[in-house]
Order: sequence, then C-alpha cells, then structure tokens
Amino acid sequence: MSDRAPAELPDHVDVLVIGSGAGGATTAAVLAEAGRDVLVVEEGAMVRQGDVVPFSLDQMDRQYRAGGVTAAIGRPSIAYTEGCCVGGGTEINSGLYRKPPAAVLDRWRRHHGVADLTEAALFDICDEVERDLSVQRMPGAAIGASEALRRGAERLGWANEEIPRWMTYTSADVSSGRRQSMSETYLPRATSAGAVLVSGHRVDRLVRRHDRAVAALVSDRAGRTSTVRFRDVFVCGGAIQSPALLQRSGLRHRIGRSLAIHPTVKLTARFDDALNVPDDVPVHQVTEFTPDLSFGGSASSPGLIALALSDHWSRFGDAIEEWRHLAIYYAAITGEGRGRVTAVPGLRDPVVTYRLTRRDAALLNRGLARLALVMLEAGATAVYPSFRNAPIVTARRDLATMQALFAITRVSVMTVHLCSTVPMGGDPARSATDSHGLVHGTQNIYVNDAALLPDAPGVNPQASVMAVAIRNARRFLDRAPS
Amino acid sequence: MKQERGESDPPTIVLPRMAAFPPPRLIAAFSDRVIANDLPALPDERRADVVAFAVRRIAGLPTFMRLGVGAVALAVGAAGRLVGPDRLVAVLAQRPILVVRDYVRLVRSLSYAYVWEHWPATAPDGSAGE
Repeated sequence: MSDRAPAELPDHVDVLVIGSGAGGATTAAVLAEAGRDVLVVEEGAMVRQGDVVPFSLDQMDRQYRAGGVTAAIGRPSIAYTEGCCVGGGTEINSGLYRKPPAAVLDRWRRHHGVADLTEAALFDICDEVERDLSVQRMPGAAIGASEALRRGAERLGWANEEIPRWMTYTSADVSSGRRQSMSETYLPRATSAGAVLVSGHRVDRLVRRHDRAVAALVSDRAGRTSTVRFRDVFVCGGAIQSPALLQRSGLRHRIGRSLAIHPTVKLTARFDDALNVPDDVPVHQVTEFTPDLSFGGSASSPGLIALALSDHWSRFGDAIEEWRHLAIYYAAITGEGRGRVTAVPGLRDPVVTYRLTRRDAALLNRGLARLALVMLEAGATAVYPSFRNAPIVTARRDLATMQALFAITRVSVMTVHLCSTVPMGGDPARSATDSHGLVHGTQNIYVNDAALLPDAPGVNPQASVMAVAIRNARRFLDRAPS
Repeated sequence: MKQERGESDPPTIVLPRMAAFPPPRLIAAFSDRVIANDLPALPDERRADVVAFAVRRIAGLPTFMRLGVGAVALAVGAAGRLVGPDRLVAVLAQRPILVVRDYVRLVRSLSYAYVWEHWPATAPDGSAGE
C-alpha cells in the first residue's frame, strides 16, 4: 500500500473519508470495493510496522497525537492518547478484540433508540472482521505478566479470560506475531479497489451550502491549503477530532457534549521472576466485575515503569532498579461521568474536559484495591499504586490503608478508550446523528468512528467501532446507489 | 478547486505562531531544576538530553494545554526569580500547589520516561548504572 504525495490531491471525489483508523479504513474499503471514487485524507504520517519499537517514546513521537501527551482537563485531569498516523489507533493499541456485549447493543437500541442494530446482523459483521483481521488467541504461552494476572484471578476464583488479538503468527513463538492493523488490512483493500490515501494532510473545515457539505479545506504540514470537493463525506477522525471538525464547520447540535471514556488507574507489581517484556502487553483480563470494572495489563517498558512509579518516587523509586521484575496493570471502569470536546476559534486543537462522578471515584478506588489483591494472590512481593502518597502494598492487611489514602485528586487517571462525542440515535433531541451516522440537519455529512457509539461499551471498543462503521457504510450504499 | 503549488510558494494559511509559547528557555530552566532536584546524580550531559526532550514535547502539546502550561511557567519563572529557582523547585517537588502540580508532574513524567527508556540501568538517584 502506498499513499500519495501532497501535490496529487484530487480536485473532486465521490466520497471523502477523513481519517484512516478503525472507522475510516473500513468505510473506505466498503465504499471503494462497491465502486465508489474514494479519497482518504489522514493527518498523521505513514509509519510501517517494524519501523518503531512498540510502546516506545519514538513511537509516541511518530504515531501519537502530540507525542502522546494529551489530557482532558478536570479534577483530576485525565491523560488520554490518540493515534495520529495512517491506520490511527489500530497501529498503537494493544490489539485486543472484544465483540460489543449483547447487553450493550440492547442498551443502545432501547435507551438511545438506535434502529436496525440487531445482534444477529452486527455479530455477522463481527465474524467478517474476525476473519479479515485473523483474530485469534496466542499460539503459545502468554507473557509472564499476563500469566500472573490469570493466576491471581484463578486463585481468587474470579472470572478471567484470554482476549484474542488481531495478529498473525508464523510460529508458536508469540514474538513472531504481526499486528493486523488497518495499514495491513482494510487500507490496502481500499487502495487496491481504487481508493486514494493521502497522509500528512489535515482537514481544517468543511464548506457547507445549506444542508450539504460541498468541499473540504485541507492543509499540509507546511500550511499550504487545498480544496477538495465531494458528493458525500465521512468524518472518521475519532472521538476528539471528529466533533472538533464538525464544530469548526458550524455544526453544534449535540456534538462534543457527551464524551464517554473508560477511566483507568494503574499499579505496578513486583514479582520474584523477571517477567517484564517491554514491547508486548498481557492478553488476559479479569472479567469478574464487568461491565462496571475490569482488570488487565499494560505496556511495561522501563520508561513507562519509571513513569508509573513517579507519583511517589521518594518511596517507590528504588524499585526501578528491578524493572525486569515489574509489570504495570490497570483497573478500568465504565465511567458515569461525561466530558466535552469544544473547538475554540483561533485554537488549532479542541479543549477537552471531563468530570468524574463520585461513583466513578469510589469505583476506581475499589478497583485498584481489588487489582492489588489479584497481584498479591499472583505472588507479587510488592505493589506500587499510582497515586501520590500511596503506600507500598505487600500484604492483604495493607489494602485497607491503601483505600483510606486514596483520593481522586491524587490519582493518575488515564484512558485509551474515548467515544460518544457525536452519538447516533433515534431521537434527534438526544443524538447528533441518525441511527446510521448521518449528522442531523444535513444531507451528506456522515460520522463513522468511535464518536458515534452512544456510550462507552465497557470493553475494548475497536470491534464495536469497526462493526458499526461497516454496517453504516453498507447502509449508505443502499441509500445512495451510485 | 485545488490550488497549484510549488515548493517555493508561501503558505496560504498562517497558523497561529504560538510554537514559541511557552518560551522554551523557561521550560528548559524549570525542567533542569526539577530533574536536578529529583535525580541529583544524573550526569550533566544526560540531563541536557532530558531537558531538550521535555522542551520539545511541551512545544508539541495541544494548544490549550500549551497555553495553560505557559501561564504556569511564567508564574513559576517569576517566583523563581524572587526566591531562587532551586529553593522554589525543592518546595514544589515536596508540596506542589494545585495548578503548579500538573506542571511539575508533566515535567517529571516526561523526564523519567526518557531517562529509563534510554538508560534503563540508571539508579533511582540518576547515577549511571552498570
């Protein structure tokens, strides 16, 4: 797959797809394979697998927005990450695949009035996605940090499972895995079917005439601008950039007002075994308390371990000398709080805010304590929670102290799952788009990414995003035959 | 319609020229003192690398974060001139006040991640490990 040089931006296309992540790549593939003339404009650069070390600062420089240093303002502020490269978040995430739970689809139908969202139809699409991405479990043993999580949960009798990933393996050695991200799968399909992919270009604004968008103002990194005209446009920039672009284009109704996330807190656990694998992540998750609460493992390079310990370096710092024995784990909740994404005239980037509720704070505290318990059961000799003035937990008796010292303003809260900023739904008063992503009050502006999900699904959302995007792209073809 | 462009054409959009805000020298000076306070044995040349990294990353922050950090950096810079930068950083490192806390955390997070990614054998005080 290749992307075009800047000077080759076409003047006019049938369909403009903005963004090349899980939503944009699938949209482009479906439409191009149906014979549509498709242009995909991606703000980030093309970075091939193997050119960067996974979860390294170099990767963050090249494939994350703002080098991975982005935050939603609040008390506390919540660090989040966005992919900014060809393939978007699928190039940088953990690659874990989880279907949208049936209960979530039911909620989206009943509570949000999303039409035509039958389990059978969506799960059929999920089956396709699983084949296309070679979704599978590990061919051999998971890394030690993953096994530790499984072992701890087993000893407590808590439900846990190995989450399959979109990976292909050439041997039983898990290090032979190759991510089946968008740059390896749907984007090559799209370009093989005639779609054009242009990276390094940002869509600054859509030009509207009455209820239609007619053109996009595009700029490259040097600030040079072009105008691309189109018949239809799919905005697939993700839960932060999609609402920001729509707002810059003068669309505001229910847009950017309902940011939903999975707030996450972390701890670092020390084991007797040297179990650290810097460039891979655990594949097991503890599902005993889903959908409210789930536990998993994070990337644990020495740099990230130092960062995790930095909240209380004077007490935790000595542990860094044994980083090979350390691994980072997270407790994620399905947050009740909501945030906003607001494009401010004159500022290039939107302002992002988020407010946790008291219930969220209490759940994070409880989650961190339960996660620490899992680690102790797994054989951890010390647990370092990521909040200021946290104690080192070495035994069950320390958990009560840890919970007592926990205060939400002292905690490093982060998230990698953002959604619901342009929610689809059946009621125009409560949603930003119709049930298939068409922005209310417009004839040809579609949103087709995580922003559409009516609320946080409680599981890794990429499968939900892809399945919904494919569903909507097909619906578009049905509604607007060429 | 698409505009014809050549390599020598001037930009047709002038983006807000805020890349120099907050002033890099302010960020560099503060980062240098934070790192010196936290990791006193970190060799000077490594500290210089870390400071350069922190300055670069902060310059690349989303606009609203950069504005916020800039405002705090200006205030901290002014306070540092009054009480002395080392004393100020020592106080902030131990008892960070509300809005400054996130600034200290940002610098610390970037710095620690950089140090241990590039030199994983570094000791907790910053001294070069084996």
